[in-house]
Amino acid sequence: MITGISLLMLALLVSPHQVASPGQNPGSKQSKPAHAGQKTRSFEEVAKAANEAREADRDDDAIKLYQEGLKLRPEWQEGLWYLSTLLYQKERFAEARDLLRRFVTLEPKAGPGWALLGMSEYQTRDYSRALDHLKHAMRNGWEGRKELAQSVFYFVSVLLTRFEQYDDSMTMLFAMMKSGEQPDLIVEPIGLAALHLPLLPSEVPPDRRELIGMAGQSALSIEHHNQAETERLFGAMVASYPNEPGVHFLYGAYLMDVRPEEGIREMRRELEISPSHVGARLRLAEEYIKEQKFQEALGLAEEAVKLAPETAPAHMVLGEALVGKGEAARGVAELETARNQAPESARTHWDLLRAYTSAGRSADAKREKEEIEKLSRPESQQEP
Amino acid sequence: MYILGMLVFSALLVLLLTAQANPQSTPQPSFEALAKQADAARSADRLDEALALYSKGVRLRPTWSDGWWSMGSILYEQDRFLEAQEAFRRFVAAAPKPGPGFAFLALCEYETRDYDGSLKHFQSWAKAGSPGNDALIDVAGFHWALLLTRESKFEPALYLLTTETRKLGVTPALTEALGLASLRMANVPEDYPPLKRELVWLAGEAAAYSARQDYSRSDEYAQRLFTRYGGEANVHFFWGTQLGFRRKLPEAAEEYKKELQISPQHVPAMVELTLAQVENRNAEEVIPVAERAITFEPKNARAHLAYGKALLVTEHLQEAAHELELAKELAPDSPLVRSALANAYLRLGRMQDAKRESEAFISLQEKEEVLAPVENKDDASKHKVRPKP
Repeated sequence: MITGISLLMLALLVSPHQVASPGQNPGSKQSKPAHAGQKTRSFEEVAKAANEAREADRDDDAIKLYQEGLKLRPEWQEGLWYLSTLLYQKERFAEARDLLRRFVTLEPKAGPGWALLGMSEYQTRDYSRALDHLKHAMRNGWEGRKELAQSVFYFVSVLLTRFEQYDDSMTMLFAMMKSGEQPDLIVEPIGLAALHLPLLPSEVPPDRRELIGMAGQSALSIEHHNQAETERLFGAMVASYPNEPGVHFLYGAYLMDVRPEEGIREMRRELEISPSHVGARLRLAEEYIKEQKFQEALGLAEEAVKLAPETAPAHMVLGEALVGKGEAARGVAELETARNQAPESARTHWDLLRAYTSAGRSADAKREKEEIEKLSRPESQQEP
Repeated sequence: MYILGMLVFSALLVLLLTAQANPQSTPQPSFEALAKQADAARSADRLDEALALYSKGVRLRPTWSDGWWSMGSILYEQDRFLEAQEAFRRFVAAAPKPGPGFAFLALCEYETRDYDGSLKHFQSWAKAGSPGNDALIDVAGFHWALLLTRESKFEPALYLLTTETRKLGVTPALTEALGLASLRMANVPEDYPPLKRELVWLAGEAAAYSARQDYSRSDEYAQRLFTRYGGEANVHFFWGTQLGFRRKLPEAAEEYKKELQISPQHVPAMVELTLAQVENRNAEEVIPVAERAITFEPKNARAHLAYGKALLVTEHLQEAAHELELAKELAPDSPLVRSALANAYLRLGRMQDAKRESEAFISLQEKEEVLAPVENKDDASKHKVRPKP
């Protein structure tokens, strides 16, 4: 179970030296005396006992001691961190989450803190915040901790699918595969994203597992460059689920690269089953642009923009079709909309670079070129 | 995060306005200095320092509502809802006009799973006129709808969610909330069975696109819903209501009948089937259905309304008036009931009574009838998403 692995790894990887140790804070308050009749124990004594209990795997004792320490010094970062990890381990996710919210307020650059917070929120089904905070963890980095990165990538990718950001999810899942993640772990998430089903793996009904597994295996096999196996898998999926939304789109997307005429047929079939499918329209339009059938491409791209006006790829493909057809001004306007909606898309910047250059807008073209260079720098490439 | 930012901005804006409108009585110099330092720290984004200073300030003067407000706002921004909740609780107790404070308190209570407290404070907020800017109204209205769903008050919840979907578009959060309310699942998004997710999503998409009047896309999702989950309770009832909104009443009636085959004791399906068949001029066949609905739920005003209307169109005038009088007793503020009763009196030749009911109908109609059925009248159905001031 990835959550368990992540937790253990987090707890082990973050040493006490990476957060303020007891007594390090020059402004720390003196511990208050205990109630009358009780033995007075200083904060330093409690902190030491808590760490000893944790190191000796006496988790319940450690939890009590960290709680005692945090009563004495609420901003004790080490205590907040270790208590959170212990509570997470005990599946007391809501308590862990509340402590981690305090921890990241004190340590806003702590990637692991944001990661564990996002994972706690995931477990309490606060998915929107979980995604925000896991993305925050990605921005803050993990100082070379590859396993932590893989855990966060996994959670982010499945959440992106649940929030219907399928392409972004697929990109992350394939990046995980390339970086050596176990295929078994990502087959189902890839299947869900590929079929545009906004479910978490834990939300998949038993009677859907076969289809989703087939879709995931088929999509993964493309990356393995074994065409015979890929064809076999896709063939089996289409034969078993000929009327299921998403199936022909997925197969068609594969065929577009190897046998475009069959790809077009599959995309058309998908549009019969799912008349509002934006992705099928865009893939068809892209193919028509490639074949210089700009009028056909234009109609499909316009429909895609109407169906999904907030989707950058729809504006991008519409812009490409318009530019191809010779309607440069309208095309540039669409491409600029796409760029504004998704500034990280290198393809849109390339489209704009070419369009500006053709129009003699050298300053604008130069800016796009700079953007492309910026995007291709290693630091802008995220890897798990 | 954008909405969160807007909320905090609105909180701070209200603070400034409140501070101008309600100057404190002559403060102690030390308190005044502290308040100034706290505000300066907050303005400079030194939030930890600001929190500590506000905390000292409210200890010195526990009735300092602006201090509680600022503390609550900062803690809310940091997702520290338990602490923010306490600050907003103190704020609404101390402020002469807590206004948006009720909404923030309710939002904190939602996050800490104090759902009963949250519902109560959303109602207080609505009674205060739902004050706040668009961002607050959207977030508060959304969470209030989630809680109404949890309380099985599906119709007012759907009213709020449909209004938001028309305004904000189809989003994953609204889709999920609409799915739950449409399927009459008394849950919040955090606690419904995970294996129901696909069912909820498909129903939510169908409802959301229907709210946007994108009927072809709504129908596409509905078709997927039937293919996958056509045998599940509430699916056909949900679709019947959607068809009813589109005035496709014969098709709606068929859906209610299918629902009753799956869920024979589904009172809302009995009631809506009766009302649809009255409009379809098939009232005779549903009189036993209407009677059965009342047997199950004798205090259901809409069931009496439906039965009364069925009796009226089948010329059982005395019985119709009796049923509609019962409906009126249960829901005196329903213009639908008063209109039907006026009609019954008219048919009986009771002109004075008819005139009285007609006048009541006109007066109530001005208050605007909403989608909510009469038995579920709630503050939510009176709540208006107001334009930005």
